[in-house]
Amino acid sequence: MMRQENVLSPTPAKIIKTEKMTEIERLIQLELLNKDFAQSFIYKPGQFIEVSVMGVGEAPISICAARTKPDLLELCVRKVGRVTNAIHNRKEGDILWIRGPYGNSFPMEKMEGNRLLLVGGGLGIAPLRGVLQYALQNREKYGEITVFYGIRCYSMMLFREEFLRLFREGDKQNVKFYLSYEDPEDKECHQLACERSDRCTQGVVTKLFEKTKITPENTYAIICGPPIMYKFVVKELINRNFRPEQIYMTLERRMKCGIGKCGHCIIGDGTSIKYVCKDGPVFTYLDALNTKGMI
Amino acid sequence: MIYAKLNRKDFASFFESLRKYGKIYGPVKISESYGFKEVSNVDELSLDYPRTMIPPKKFFIKPQERIFEFNEEKAEYLEIIEEERVVVFGVHPCDINAIKLLDKVYINDMPDKYYQKRRENTIIIGISCHPDEYCFCKSVGTSYAVDGFDLFLHEISDGYLIRAATEKGYELIAINKDSIKDVEASDIDEFKEREQKRLTEFKLDLNPFGLQDMLELAHDHAVWKEYADKCFGCGTCNLVCPTCRCYDVTDLMKLDLKTGERARRWDSCMLRKHGLVAGGLNFRPTRVERLRNRFNCKGSLREGMINCVGCGRCTVYCPASIRYVEVLQKVRGEIK
Repeated sequence: MMRQENVLSPTPAKIIKTEKMTEIERLIQLELLNKDFAQSFIYKPGQFIEVSVMGVGEAPISICAARTKPDLLELCVRKVGRVTNAIHNRKEGDILWIRGPYGNSFPMEKMEGNRLLLVGGGLGIAPLRGVLQYALQNREKYGEITVFYGIRCYSMMLFREEFLRLFREGDKQNVKFYLSYEDPEDKECHQLACERSDRCTQGVVTKLFEKTKITPENTYAIICGPPIMYKFVVKELINRNFRPEQIYMTLERRMKCGIGKCGHCIIGDGTSIKYVCKDGPVFTYLDALNTKGMI
Repeated sequence: MIYAKLNRKDFASFFESLRKYGKIYGPVKISESYGFKEVSNVDELSLDYPRTMIPPKKFFIKPQERIFEFNEEKAEYLEIIEEERVVVFGVHPCDINAIKLLDKVYINDMPDKYYQKRRENTIIIGISCHPDEYCFCKSVGTSYAVDGFDLFLHEISDGYLIRAATEKGYELIAINKDSIKDVEASDIDEFKEREQKRLTEFKLDLNPFGLQDMLELAHDHAVWKEYADKCFGCGTCNLVCPTCRCYDVTDLMKLDLKTGERARRWDSCMLRKHGLVAGGLNFRPTRVERLRNRFNCKGSLREGMINCVGCGRCTVYCPASIRYVEVLQKVRGEIK
């Protein structure tokens, strides 16, 4: 792709929509103002961008939608630090600055002709939504799509309207959408569990493996969630005879520059040093076996 | 390669001839240590220096530098690319090889414009050296600079045998054609002799072969805890390391709350904050993890080159007296 001459220079993007999804997460829709740049700004599911608020700083944020129009992109932003708080405070019409897209991506071409199992926990569903959208846009290229989405409670559910539609009507598109919730007192989620007891359960996301028979034949698993989640999900998949190279995951680290230079996202030992921003953030479980400390 | 000879009596005039290419920086004694400082008079140079405290990386990645100035209100920014021309005189082979490693990080498929510009605007003149008890460049294969310099000066009894590796280097010879002569057979003989003798002077040895596997296999070794307990976590090793190049980025807002600058500065993987993300999760929360990470990073290969050039700085300047080679000898099981 065409690169700007200075890799550290951001390009302006106007906030065209900022929508509260939960108490701490907002959906931000951006429009790239430099239309020439927008033509070369081709992103794939799993990639991320560096988002700046001038005077506050820069933060890596994954793109949470598949590319449809060249100058548009969507981010799901949890307010957790200085930059993300500032992004939350910005209004429609305000300018954010972005660099990217960075990182590798989920190998959507390689996965063609296969079934997909997406396992997302909390905010981890955001990059997986890009995969899901991409697969739905190219529906004939993929087999059955199974989604496991683990949330803490109903009020923390992201993309609620969209996902509830898939939960209820996904089967029409050969999408099986499963939901787990942690809070046993949650009334709305309990209601959903009553509505579709075969698709919704109380507990952590791995409990959903009890709800359906997952087999490794022609299937790729894709995982994203809080760091603690990976080991447990991987264990379930390995128990079901998934091969390590069938399991993809995307990782979080301090990716300050996004281009493998600033050094913060380094992982691995002597033979297996990697920079998550450049060599990842998407890795297979085989990579994780080769790289100590990855998960 | 073009070879030439500079007689000692012509050294001062040769040195002065460099001035028209930019500010000249060279090794200068500063209290107990040495540093690359601007040199206005050839007498200020200490060409037999063992090593500088701060390596020449400072000419390419500044300890602190502005990336751009911005105006939030007007939604615009102005890149700040320096055009200053610099001559760095008297760089040792280990440091030249370290710059080659930095080039691999900073000038690749996504080149860093700031670094690249400074590299283009800098003339590097190497100089031969003798190892002290901290040097182990011979072990890691960086005791000789094959390229990565414009000129390299090898000391011989009555002057220097010069190697010119670039067009700029050749130009420097050409403009000094009155003082720089052809190499004679006796100069070559002496150069060979001195190179041979130099290799016998090393006192410290590190076996670099298979070090990457040894490090990986030592992931849970007690050595990390042992040295993490000694380590102050001060990050001095990172600052003085010629191949450490982690940087942090900060936005500095002016009092008008509209304008400001984005700056970057050297960072250190030995500091707690290095692996910390927003929300409070730290991917390298303890000193054990940070120390192990640093040794693994240094011991790993980048395009076939080990990320340590054996300059000895991290050992010389460690306030906790941690000896880099000793740690790796324990990792290898050579000592207990």
